[in-house]
Amino acid sequence: MDRNEIIEKLRTIVLRNSQSDLGQRAVSEQDRIDSLGIDSLAMLDLIYDLQQEFGIEMDPQDLIPVVTIGDLVTMIKSRVSA
Amino acid sequence: MKRLRHLLEYLGLRVLLFLVDCAPPALSLRLADFGADLAYLLLFSRRRIAVSNLLATHIAADAPSARRLARLSFRCFARMAVESLCSDRYLEQHNWQDCIEWEASPELLQVLNDPQQGLILASGHLGSWEVAAHLLSYHKPVVGITRSMNNPYTERLISRRKSRGRFELTPKHDLNTARLVTALKQKKILAIMIDQHAYSRGVRIDFLGRSASYDKAVALLHLITKTPLCFGYCIATAPMRFKFIASDPISYAATGDKEADVRAILKLLNDHLETAVRTYPDKYLWSHRRWRPE
Repeated sequence: MDRNEIIEKLRTIVLRNSQSDLGQRAVSEQDRIDSLGIDSLAMLDLIYDLQQEFGIEMDPQDLIPVVTIGDLVTMIKSRVSA
Repeated sequence: MKRLRHLLEYLGLRVLLFLVDCAPPALSLRLADFGADLAYLLLFSRRRIAVSNLLATHIAADAPSARRLARLSFRCFARMAVESLCSDRYLEQHNWQDCIEWEASPELLQVLNDPQQGLILASGHLGSWEVAAHLLSYHKPVVGITRSMNNPYTERLISRRKSRGRFELTPKHDLNTARLVTALKQKKILAIMIDQHAYSRGVRIDFLGRSASYDKAVALLHLITKTPLCFGYCIATAPMRFKFIASDPISYAATGDKEADVRAILKLLNDHLETAVRTYPDKYLWSHRRWRPE
């Protein structure tokens, strides 16, 4: 799975869980996750959906350095290919 | 003006803490009862909420019994605060087991005693919830989620008193999701109060016959980490003597339908809370605004 495929799936998940009205806004690798209306509770929803969508188990330690969508894509990519 | 009020509250709290620290527990608890009766008389809006909740849920059949239960509920809350402030003096590593009686299954005790397992402890504003966290922390570290006080002076003072040993507090409005999940991965106990209003983002479930909003976090944490979950609470049986009552550990078999799974888990916990409140109606915090319209 390449980065673009991951970003496309991520976009759907982020829009579903965002607490902001993002409309059909594109999600780029540079976007900070907290700027997309993902607060602590939405983050739990996001983690659940990521685990279901990509079939991975997320280690919380991996999430600590995750700030942007790009960071999240890198983390998911490493988990999917592991 | 606000600063002056905060300073006066802080001074009042210092005096209270001094009295609690000097007096034996039985006397401190008598003082708590006195303070609670005074609060019941003076805090008109809280009293009204409590009486109204007791009548609306049909826990009290009529106004006199609602007022009686509301007053006992005020006393229970004041006693819980005093027990919590005293707990580090009277519940220590060498004697805590003598102060607690368990009403929990061997399966749950096994989880508590197993250093390789974490636990999500769901509870409610019932009985001595702060003491429960302190006592359980002798089994394994407990992380509790707390709401910051409006008064920064009393907040600092109480935080110093509450956070001790293996009981750490995480501010509710500064939640770091990864930290909560990490606590469970580190096999700690994560204590969460489930009966707090969750606004429009919550899941609506009938609690004592009236629709209430529940936060999804406890259910999502269970689904994500697969950490055992239980409902438990602590009741005072005598001065600084307690009974911890808990459900069997729950390992919910997820169906993959997130909304349905979250609702089912919350409903399960809600049923345990309802049973507990009906068993000990005088020990529930009726004065908080649990039922709010959508």
